[in-house]
Amino acid sequence: MTAYKGTDEIAYPIRIFLHFDPLILITTFLSSHGIPLALLLSLITVSFTLVFGRVFCGWVCPLGTLNDFMGRLTPKKRRKKHLGDQARRVKYYILIFVLVSSLFTLQITGLADPISLLIRSLAVAVEPAVNLMTHTVFDLLYRADIPVVTAISEAIYALLKKHILAFHQPFFYQGIFIGLIFAAILLANLYRRRFWCTALCPLGALLGLITQISPFKRVVGKGCTSCNLCVRECRTGAAADVKGKWKKSECVMCGECQEDCPEDAVRFGFLPAKAGKVTGVDWGRRGVIASFISGIFVVPLMRTNPLTKRRKGSLIRPPGALPEAEFLRRCVRCGECMKVCLTNGLQPALFEAGLEGIWTPRFDFHSGYCQYYCTLCGQVCPTGALRELSQEEKARTKIGLAYIDKNRCIPYAQGVECLVCEEHCPTPDKAIKFEQVETRTPGGRKLIRRPVVDLKLCIGCGICEYKCPLHDQPAIICTRLGESRADELLPF
Amino acid sequence: MSKLTRREWLKLTLAGAGAALTPWPWRTLASAATASPPDLVISHGKSPALITEAALQALGGMSRFVSRGDVVLVKPNIAWDRTPAQAATTNPEVVATLVRLCLTAGAKEVKVFDHPCEDPRRSYVRSGIMEAAKEAGAKVSYVDARRFRKMNLKGEALQDWEVYKEAVEVDKIINCPILKHHTAARLTMGMKNLMGLIGGDRSRLHWHLDEAIVDLAAFFKPTLIVLDAVRILTANGPQGGSLKYVKELNTVAAGVDQVAVDAMGAKLFGLQPGDMDHLHIASTRGLGRMDLGKLRIKEVTTNS
Repeated sequence: MTAYKGTDEIAYPIRIFLHFDPLILITTFLSSHGIPLALLLSLITVSFTLVFGRVFCGWVCPLGTLNDFMGRLTPKKRRKKHLGDQARRVKYYILIFVLVSSLFTLQITGLADPISLLIRSLAVAVEPAVNLMTHTVFDLLYRADIPVVTAISEAIYALLKKHILAFHQPFFYQGIFIGLIFAAILLANLYRRRFWCTALCPLGALLGLITQISPFKRVVGKGCTSCNLCVRECRTGAAADVKGKWKKSECVMCGECQEDCPEDAVRFGFLPAKAGKVTGVDWGRRGVIASFISGIFVVPLMRTNPLTKRRKGSLIRPPGALPEAEFLRRCVRCGECMKVCLTNGLQPALFEAGLEGIWTPRFDFHSGYCQYYCTLCGQVCPTGALRELSQEEKARTKIGLAYIDKNRCIPYAQGVECLVCEEHCPTPDKAIKFEQVETRTPGGRKLIRRPVVDLKLCIGCGICEYKCPLHDQPAIICTRLGESRADELLPF
Repeated sequence: MSKLTRREWLKLTLAGAGAALTPWPWRTLASAATASPPDLVISHGKSPALITEAALQALGGMSRFVSRGDVVLVKPNIAWDRTPAQAATTNPEVVATLVRLCLTAGAKEVKVFDHPCEDPRRSYVRSGIMEAAKEAGAKVSYVDARRFRKMNLKGEALQDWEVYKEAVEVDKIINCPILKHHTAARLTMGMKNLMGLIGGDRSRLHWHLDEAIVDLAAFFKPTLIVLDAVRILTANGPQGGSLKYVKELNTVAAGVDQVAVDAMGAKLFGLQPGDMDHLHIASTRGLGRMDLGKLRIKEVTTNS
């Protein structure tokens, strides 16, 4: 993960994985009828799969690599066991479900897409937790101030801080939830190796389907003694001996069976259609129909939610977000925008945008605000759900408007000057202005300045809400009203 | 006492004559010794670096403030994510020049940091201060949240408050604020700039801002204050953003009396020092003098 050094542009290699993800390409196209150009890189993945099979799963996918790593911990007696065909079908059902629902404009692929899932889990759960843990340990040593030990630990800490650790400790509302799901996926490897890849992964299913027409084959030659070493050792349960059938759509092309075979009987190569025994995709007609139908019906079910009709005022989207309906059709919930948000203000939604909008980014001005000149979230969005804005555009983009709660605001309620919101307001002409008024206080009459919001200038960045000294319940609050993307008629 | 031999006497006489005839170092030393340095220096000119150097020279040189082996903190204002042209942060050339002068005067280490209001990474980069100060040889660091310690400031508004440990541990503090508008304090200059050395919930200080500013000045007592008025922000401070509120004064004011320097800042801005509540409080509390009429002020102009 690249550490941000304070420049306007971010060098960010992480989203490149998403660009090579054809599932994101297809579902984005189906749901939004648009193709972000960078996603066309995934056609490379498709063509590789057409020729060589699921090499992406075996050699590229970072979640697959993690699963392999966890697979080394699988207990011995379970290493030889493989998932049944019923369980293997589930991934096709998930695939059909997300394809059909995205055809009907519901984009929830990101919940199960392995790349989105991995990036989200790392950004929202793993990194914050690891960061906090590391900090706690080094803090302890720093406070203990043990002669030689602390000097060494501080040197290591400085190095970690410079290259690996986050600049500020990140905090995320859904961290535990997303983290537990991620942990479950990793731990499933202890039951069956590559459980996620063989049973659940919709991208694996898609590539498995594509690979059916690939000419690249596995053949077991005459030397086979049916020792079943390859069958037992196969991480996905795709291998077979000379009598069995190779599960082509399950094979991730790791090549281990070829290497392990004591008789050198296993071969991979471009072979004529008849060579080798191969099983086709076995997905069961009933399940296919069921997932097809549920993919259709999930759309209206999710959308018969009052939030579809009218959004809550507190649901504030990042600058550059497309109009809400379009935004939801594009966002794959990879969490990259939340990761790069300088102030930690972007948080994954839970039900604020309905179930349809789960884990989409929303601003929470309790945890951060939108930095005036920062355009990072738009730079990292892989699908264009957040447009990349120039600094000038960004400075013009309203994401909401601020309101003063006069019952709490100190100058209004207590007759004492405060002015913190005005001080922090980043708009060059100050969207928070002052009116001078005479107030009656127990000590007599006096002149004080009270803040007033100029709604024309306010861009809703939320810094006033974040910095308001009344942290428990800020006296100035931003809501989504007036956001540029909604293009609503406003009273000013 | 032993008698001088003729040879020794000759040597001494020659050395003495040589020293007396060597024109430059002796004369400056002598003049510095007889005419004590002014209370305040105002330095004008196009180049921020040269006018900073000139101001220090008029004050008697950096070696008056920094001794060999000192660890010095040069404390600019890096509070906001703004460019030098927007005049919300100290001019990077002024900062770099101070760093260079400290090192030339024999400082062991020069530190530069601030506790910004906006994202520190962006503020350090966009203000140009990180690059300029590093190039000049300073150690630029971000504030480390672990290094705040609750200390008793013995102030009137501030009692126990979190203070940045490194700021207390250095031998000398050179405060180099920028002169700019600030709604709550009217202007932010030297004394207000010290808010960057404390932690805690700084927004709450705004309820007793003027007293708090004076408490900080009394606690940190910087050795030298160099006020950057190369470009000033005349309205909508402290962060501004629009060039229409920026005015070029091409000036630097310097001195050891923090109240006097800030009072001069107010005058440069076009206000009366007495208009500023915190200056009033500071001078009443005996922290310095704000009556510019009674100060010895030296004005220098450098043209390059």
